[in-house]
Amino acid sequence: MSDEEHHFESKADAGASKTYPQQAGTIRKNGHIVIKNRPCKVVEVSTSKTGKHGHAKCHFVGIDIFTGKKLEDIVPSSHNCDVPHVNRTDYQLIDISEDGFVSLLTESGGTKDDLKLPSDESLLSQIKDGFGEGKDLIVSVMSAMGEEQICGLKDIGPK
Amino acid sequence: MGLPREFHEQCRRLLERDFLKTFYQWTSEAASSVTNRIIESDSFVPEVKVCTAALDLMLQILNWDFRSNTSDTKVNVNVFSSGVRQDVDSLKRYECHLVQPGSDWRDVLILSGHIGWLLSLYAALRPKFSCEGYWLDCPIAVSARKLIVQFSSLTGTVFLSDDGKMHERHLLQLLSGILEWVDPPDVVSKAIENGKSESEMLDGCRTFLAIANVTTPYVFDGLLKSIRPIGTLTFLSILMSEVIKVLITSNTEEETWSWEARDILLDTWTALLMPINTITVNTLLPPEGIKAAANLFGFIVECELRMASASAFNDEGDSDYLRASVSAMDERLSSYALIARASIDVTIPLLTSVFSERVTRLNQGRGIIDLTETLEELYSLLLIIGHVIADEGEGEMPLVPNAIQTQFVVNSVEADKHPVILLSSSIIKFAEQCLNPEMRASVFSPRLMESIVWFLARWSSTYLMSSDGIVEKILDSGHHYEYSSKKALLSFFGEHNQGRIVLDIIVRISLITLTSYPGEKDLQGLTCYMLLHSLVQQKHICVHLVALNSWHDLATAFSIEKTLFLLDTAHQRSLAQTLVRSASGVRNSEESSQYVRNLMGHIATYIVEMSSKSDFKNIAQQPDILLSVSCMLERLRGAASASEPRTQKAIYELGFSVMNPILVLLEVYKHESAVVYLLLKFVVDWVDGQITYLEAQETTAVVDFCMRLLQLYSSHNIGKISLSLSSSLLSEAQTDKYKDLRALLQLLSSLCSKDMIDFSSDSIETQGTNISQVVYFGLHIVTPLISMDLLKYPKLCHDYFSLLSHLLEVYPETFAQLNSEAFTHILGTLDFGLHHQDVDVVSKCLRSLQALASYHYKETGNGNIGLGAHAMGLKDSSGEVQEGLLSRFLRSLLQLLFFEDYSSDLISVAADALLPLILCEQSLYQRLGNELIERQTNPNLKSRLANALHSLTSANQLSSSLDRINYQRFRKNLNSFLVEVRGFLKTV
Repeated sequence: MSDEEHHFESKADAGASKTYPQQAGTIRKNGHIVIKNRPCKVVEVSTSKTGKHGHAKCHFVGIDIFTGKKLEDIVPSSHNCDVPHVNRTDYQLIDISEDGFVSLLTESGGTKDDLKLPSDESLLSQIKDGFGEGKDLIVSVMSAMGEEQICGLKDIGPK
Repeated sequence: MGLPREFHEQCRRLLERDFLKTFYQWTSEAASSVTNRIIESDSFVPEVKVCTAALDLMLQILNWDFRSNTSDTKVNVNVFSSGVRQDVDSLKRYECHLVQPGSDWRDVLILSGHIGWLLSLYAALRPKFSCEGYWLDCPIAVSARKLIVQFSSLTGTVFLSDDGKMHERHLLQLLSGILEWVDPPDVVSKAIENGKSESEMLDGCRTFLAIANVTTPYVFDGLLKSIRPIGTLTFLSILMSEVIKVLITSNTEEETWSWEARDILLDTWTALLMPINTITVNTLLPPEGIKAAANLFGFIVECELRMASASAFNDEGDSDYLRASVSAMDERLSSYALIARASIDVTIPLLTSVFSERVTRLNQGRGIIDLTETLEELYSLLLIIGHVIADEGEGEMPLVPNAIQTQFVVNSVEADKHPVILLSSSIIKFAEQCLNPEMRASVFSPRLMESIVWFLARWSSTYLMSSDGIVEKILDSGHHYEYSSKKALLSFFGEHNQGRIVLDIIVRISLITLTSYPGEKDLQGLTCYMLLHSLVQQKHICVHLVALNSWHDLATAFSIEKTLFLLDTAHQRSLAQTLVRSASGVRNSEESSQYVRNLMGHIATYIVEMSSKSDFKNIAQQPDILLSVSCMLERLRGAASASEPRTQKAIYELGFSVMNPILVLLEVYKHESAVVYLLLKFVVDWVDGQITYLEAQETTAVVDFCMRLLQLYSSHNIGKISLSLSSSLLSEAQTDKYKDLRALLQLLSSLCSKDMIDFSSDSIETQGTNISQVVYFGLHIVTPLISMDLLKYPKLCHDYFSLLSHLLEVYPETFAQLNSEAFTHILGTLDFGLHHQDVDVVSKCLRSLQALASYHYKETGNGNIGLGAHAMGLKDSSGEVQEGLLSRFLRSLLQLLFFEDYSSDLISVAADALLPLILCEQSLYQRLGNELIERQTNPNLKSRLANALHSLTSANQLSSSLDRINYQRFRKNLNSFLVEVRGFLKTV
């Protein structure tokens, strides 16, 4: 492992304040981390040493929160990693359009129409079925590093 | 099959008493009859197969778990104790099978020259190994060797009680038979390295282990003396040195024969040296053996160090392998320690000189050469020394090891010349150098620090300010020879001597590991969990701790400075707990509350300020905010879990001040499962620590808060579905949910405990808080979240059912008031639990059923409605009649008892549940009973069943009341009923 100074090159193309530096040793399982410029959820952290009497390094296994792909990284534990700013917002689902976009009601009363339905069949059917049955659905939308995706839904029941 | 256990036991006894020996005799005759043919012929003859089979069978028979005379064995062994160990139980640890066939077998095994025959057979086989059809590992040789090892573990009444002479003769005969397998060690080992099979060597070692298990060290040592100039112990030490030598020269990753031989021989030493009762090691080992042990230990240290330095540059990436070998190493080191303690007056000075030599080497080479090898050597050395001079506490206060207590005679004036003190002091002095930044950078690698912290933790729990009261008592009661060494040691590091200085050094080293080794989780974990945690366990140490400046520095760093935020959050929690706990050392409760307030005040303020920020919702998801909120919550949780009567008030106030912020955080972080879990865990720990002390008004506040928390949590989570492409993320989400629910159940349980244990001055009823209402309300909220899938998590399942059975036993009346949806859900889970594999869960369900049914029975008996509509049959929406819950469970319980498999432990609990159910639903029971009888086609069985059913409800003057005596009678009835009919009910 080289001991060169960590630099924040990934920050530039990730968009301003989309990520924050954080010491690798403090990132825990279930936290988030940027690996290969993708926002990931950490599913496994293990530490080892660089040589027996060297310093600790962290081995992260992350899962891309948007694509579900597995990514790995090794960082000296006293160095900084980028942690993505992952935001989740709830919207009420108003409509699902033919071309695969959803229409959502924002908190301020406006609508948000730029979000596409997930392409995966099973996820898609979970949303469509619920909506088809006429349930009132709240969808949570996860956004990080300039990407957005529906990550959950919740039936708030008939009023 | 299907027969009672008792029957099997009987069969077993019969076989053991009447047949085993006969079988054995036949087999051994068969074997001897072919022996001559085998010995005479030079090539493979068919008789060899016969003989092999016979030997195998004999081995199997001797493996029989002889029971008939275990009780009288003990008596006999006592008479016999001069030569043979008594502690049969403790030997189980080495997984060595003791063969105790009892006195009946004496003629066959001992007197008939059977052993001699076997040994001569094997001796005759040996020269044939070069012939065709024979080799060292050919079946007959293997079987014969196994049998020989088996004979070595022969013990008990099979030998005459003649002071063990007969046993000794027997062992000597075996020993002289196997000696050539391993003697001379160097020649044998060289032959093995050159390709000879190692099995003779290993079996030889196994024989030593077997003999060690059945003898005392004295007898063990004496055995060899009659045939060789040296004692067995000396031989063992030579043998082991040889094995170790081979081990380190080959030095491969895979398990070689020398590896296995070393483990067996180490077990042998352990068997010999494990202190029994109060007899000290010294009285057990003959002087020659002590010298042998000293030589061996010296050699072991040398080899371990050589291995350490050789492996210093191995950068093993395989951490799983590492972890497995660490625990194996721990075991190995404890065996080394036993050997070292057998010759403690030689080994301690040896360790001291080796240690100081390495330290000198470090100091000389610092900055000039690569020190990795020396560092690794010191690492190993510290581990070895730690094992030798101190025992692991395992939750108790470890004592100074016996050998160290008794082996050194020093007068207290010269305490600082005591070898153990010299050794400890030199290590502490070395460790102290890590406080110097320059030294730290060049010498104290994280790994070395790990061993130092480990050592300090282990050492300090034995020696540092240890049980001072006892020391003073000993001082008063005059100079006991036996204690003088211990006294000198303990008083040297006691409160009034060096103790304070050493404590200060330890705290300063801890602070350094926490602040100056960023990201070294393992090291910091050791510091938090082992070292600091064990320091605050003792109040008299806390008294000194809180007076130390260094401790004050640590507390300040914790409460104000930013650096400690970089620790792992779990470590921060532990640190908070430790610091709060040290408040018990503050003089009075007023001041200790103030101490806690100073420590935690900033943290509570931070949470309060954070949650009241207007833009908190927007910034909350930022990673930096997320991190600091998590840290603060972990710290709060740590503090909450350290509640003690003295600091209880302060911690209550602390929690009270963050109640509303917690709810705000729960709302804001509803999607951040990690934070939600932290929040819940904090509340659980806080309520758990506080609830028994709270006054009525406080209880109301806490209970209200918990209810709001539960409502909020459930409103976030009911009907929620996570969508993700990744299956592992989905299962993570499921696990998070499980952990949350488990925390909620724990919360409800601890709220429940308020009704049981209450230290407050007034009763909670005065404020009108009814705990049962509250908990039911809580259950109402939580149960819809508990799905059958989640109940598959064993811990959650356990918690859920224990809460449920507790509730039903204590407050069945509120249960009746639940709405039907929740009610059905709970019944569903009960049904699920009834068919669970875990006995505990089933018995909890049965207890709940008992509570329900007996409540209903008693209430209806008094003219009340009892469970009311729930007990009645219901027409559901589709118009079908559903059975009432009691009939339903009566049916399924009978089904379970008669036809399914269950543990016999459940029968009495089941009886307790069945009785009230039958009483409630008599007509259904009659109907079911008749059905059962009708179904039986065999008239004989039919009448048996009818009688059994009749006596189930009428025998033993069973009445229709639900009192203790009646329950007991019914238990008996059910038991005999099941014995009578279950056999054919299940099979037909």
